[in-house]
Amino acid sequence: MERGDRDFLGGSMERELIDVDMSMKFDNLSVLEDIKFKVHENEFLVIVGPTGCGKTTLARLLGGLSKPSSGHVTIAGEDVNPKIHNVSFVFQEPSCIPWLTLWDDISMGLEIKGADPQSAETKTRIKEVIKLVGLDGFEEYFPKQISGGMKQRVAIARAYATKPDFLLMDEPFGHLDAQTRYLMQIEIMRIWEREKKTVAYITNNIEEAVYLATRIIVLSKLPARIKAEHSINLPRPRDLTGPDFLRIRAEITAQCEVVK
Amino acid sequence: MAGRKIKIEVRNLSKHFDDLIVLHQMDFDIYEGEFLCVVGPTGCGKTTFCNVVTGLLPITEGSITMGGEKIDFKKHNVSFVFQEPSCIPWRTIWDDVKIGLEIRKVPKNEINERVSAILDLTGLTEFKDFYPSQISAGMKQRVVIARAFVTEPDLLLMDEPFGQLDSSTRFYIENQLIKVWEKTKRTVIFVTHNLEEAVYLSERILVCTQKPTGIKEEVFVGLPHPRDITDPEFVKIRNRVTDLVKWWE
Amino acid sequence: MANDKNAGSGKLGTFGYNALALSIFILLWAVVSWISESLFLPTPWTVLKSFLDLCTYGDVEGINLGMHIFKSTLRIFAGFVAACILGIPLGILMGLYPRVYDSTKSVIEPIRFIPPVAWIPLVIVLLVGFSRYAFIIWLGAFFPIFIGTLLSVRSVNPTHIDVPRSFGAKRLYIIKKIVIPSTLPDIFTGMRVGMGIGWDCIMAAEMIGGENEGLGVMILKYAELIRIEDIMVGMIVIGAIGFLINEVFIFVERRVFKWKEAIVIS
Repeated sequence: MERGDRDFLGGSMERELIDVDMSMKFDNLSVLEDIKFKVHENEFLVIVGPTGCGKTTLARLLGGLSKPSSGHVTIAGEDVNPKIHNVSFVFQEPSCIPWLTLWDDISMGLEIKGADPQSAETKTRIKEVIKLVGLDGFEEYFPKQISGGMKQRVAIARAYATKPDFLLMDEPFGHLDAQTRYLMQIEIMRIWEREKKTVAYITNNIEEAVYLATRIIVLSKLPARIKAEHSINLPRPRDLTGPDFLRIRAEITAQCEVVK
Repeated sequence: MAGRKIKIEVRNLSKHFDDLIVLHQMDFDIYEGEFLCVVGPTGCGKTTFCNVVTGLLPITEGSITMGGEKIDFKKHNVSFVFQEPSCIPWRTIWDDVKIGLEIRKVPKNEINERVSAILDLTGLTEFKDFYPSQISAGMKQRVVIARAFVTEPDLLLMDEPFGQLDSSTRFYIENQLIKVWEKTKRTVIFVTHNLEEAVYLSERILVCTQKPTGIKEEVFVGLPHPRDITDPEFVKIRNRVTDLVKWWE
Repeated sequence: MANDKNAGSGKLGTFGYNALALSIFILLWAVVSWISESLFLPTPWTVLKSFLDLCTYGDVEGINLGMHIFKSTLRIFAGFVAACILGIPLGILMGLYPRVYDSTKSVIEPIRFIPPVAWIPLVIVLLVGFSRYAFIIWLGAFFPIFIGTLLSVRSVNPTHIDVPRSFGAKRLYIIKKIVIPSTLPDIFTGMRVGMGIGWDCIMAAEMIGGENEGLGVMILKYAELIRIEDIMVGMIVIGAIGFLINEVFIFVERRVFKWKEAIVIS
């Protein structure tokens, strides 16, 4: 495993939240091999890798939706479990529930975690989060009435509503066109700076990764292993065409294996 | 563009859908063998523009001519590459690539020659007997490119063909595309949202405005291939195009 | 684009076109029956007259058309409701626990493929009166509802299940809040199809029912007398009521499931 050429900020200063040390097989197919890393509090960790290299599998393991075949994914020594831990997930596929209004959809996480949907506290939080993602005025709309970008904002609002300890985003902007994607990246940064959470973000877009991350982990192709790790210390907001940005980007692009 | 023949002339082109004016009085030329990119904000009618230029939709006003005549599918040879994977599931790569030639009733030995050549050029020769379900997304798009180029089209239209690929694969296949284009010298119109891709690939970029769509500006990219995204010249041009498009304002 | 707004309306509108189609059909019928001059192909107005007679004077036994309609509709609803009560919960159960279905397939599937009509001899022997009708119709309606529900549960969008799961929701919550609402439109469609098949079975059911009221029974009475016009009244009424019920279902579906991207009509 190579290290980036910068000092690893956050190792000793920020608390470690999640400890990952595992492998994953489906029947006999080894998808993830010897994946070992830690997620630190308040970091924006981005995991990149070629398409189909098991990134989504890794995301699901981090979020406690699946169990590893060997090894563990733990928070404070306990296996990650959505029933116990406060974890939120933003899926790649549009995940708005079609028969719920945006308001009801966003309140789902809170409801499941035991909040009373009628209480003033809950309502305030939902309003807060709707404002945070810029969807004021659309509370009573149905998913079929809004655009793809807006649907992902709903998913993000829903994820933030529960004030999670840990937020997982699996290629949330993968299905959006390049322009909307750029806008959403800026939005995500703005939201993250407002409500700093620990984020693990999966993407195959390296430009996006360098734009967003405090730290990047590069996965190889199947069976996926950790190929490299980079700390990104560029000041925010980052300039997509700045020379440092481009250099880091080219470096990581070279490391990402092309699935031919 | 000095010394290049004009392939397609567009004069005073307008396209209406009832009351909705989509394209408005567009005037420009497309040159023989050039790689032209069309960019613009979302919803600016880029797709309508392409459909009209290639004759898929009728024009309301103005004219589009190739060699002095209106574009006609029976006469002119136009190839398309779309964003959605369009490999035919029950055909091997070889059969898929040759389909355009089959339709045009090209003689068998010529088909074999041309298909071999294009598969060689796109690095797919060893996969010629594979089925789409057995190959990766990047490879599928290479097949589609091979299929589009093998018919030696007068005009090749590509509408966001690499939108679904990841970063590295995207760069790889963009380089492949340039390789094929340089070798075959076809006229290519490439539509994309990704401005970096436009600057990476094209000789000339047409920046369109919002509806009613017109041409805001044309930007020349005179850099040699393969291009370096970290090159300050590249960055300058990219920033310029970004400023021109500025969709979020 | 701007054209799609009025798609399908043309100059007359869907209603107008349907009225036109119906009129042309009746016209053709009239022409054919007039030309053929056959005893066995009555003209539209003969049928109309029979219809009015049946309404006012009743059939050969004096039983009113209205009564026939009432009895048949009652039987069908009985069978249909029974099919829903059994089919929907069972479908949900087997959809959620696919292994149960897979292990009982050898029993369920062959039964599914026995047409209701083939049950008639058994039904005559084992059941009496109203239950005969209800059972045959139940058989026809049950399977579309059951299978439709089952398949729908199986094809719930996995992302919609992942969302509450990722928050740690319990199984019951997911079933109540995600599976049920998600499958409701398809259950409804299954019900609509089941109702339609129930109507198909009315003849078969009433052939063996043993009572002298009901549309199917009425048709049989006139079949013996070879009074074609009265038979046709029966046929048309059955068809018309079936059509009406179907349209009501579709209307309700459209209203209740406003959130769906597209309703598939079958």
